[in-house]
Amino acid sequence: MAVGPIVKQILQTYPGKIRLVIKNYPYKYRDFSKIAAEASLAARDQGKYWEMHDMLISHSPKLDRTSLIAYAGELGLEVKKFTESIDSGRHMQEIEGDLKLAESIDLYNTPTFYINGLQIVGERPMNFFKKIIDEQLNQSGK
Amino acid sequence: MLKQLLACIFVLLLFGNALAEEKKTEIPIGDSPSLGPADAPITIIEFIDFQ
Repeated sequence: MAVGPIVKQILQTYPGKIRLVIKNYPYKYRDFSKIAAEASLAARDQGKYWEMHDMLISHSPKLDRTSLIAYAGELGLEVKKFTESIDSGRHMQEIEGDLKLAESIDLYNTPTFYINGLQIVGERPMNFFKKIIDEQLNQSGK
Repeated sequence: MLKQLLACIFVLLLFGNALAEEKKTEIPIGDSPSLGPADAPITIIEFIDFQ
């Protein structure tokens, strides 16, 4: 499951201090996890990764193929190109790469966060993140 | 002798705990989608499943 609001809150609390990086960990027993990851990367190809990322989070778990194509249309993407991309699994290699990376660091749950390399598993309240981020900011002296 | 041994174990335990708390995992960013300045003091890597 995605934790959009907390991440958004973190970015707003620390403007200019955070670099957010997304890795895909589509859980293999959920029907639409992989195609949703494909959709996010297909949108990136058209310069709208974060728009799609937010769209997927707000509409989850309604992430079947038809819905994804509708979201692409809503975001003004070139729908034909988008559809070809998700149907052909164009980004499968990248997604598999993320999965392999996750396995190599013994990660089996989402969401999992690494804040400057410190692991946080599962959903946590803002204060929990804040404490770690503040400590890291103090250590870096910024 | 026993005292010294116990002290030694104690120190090792403390040290071990400190290491565990600060355990950092290095994760290559590669071409993954990212937001914010590359030289930001904080990097958050999120492993996500949209469903």
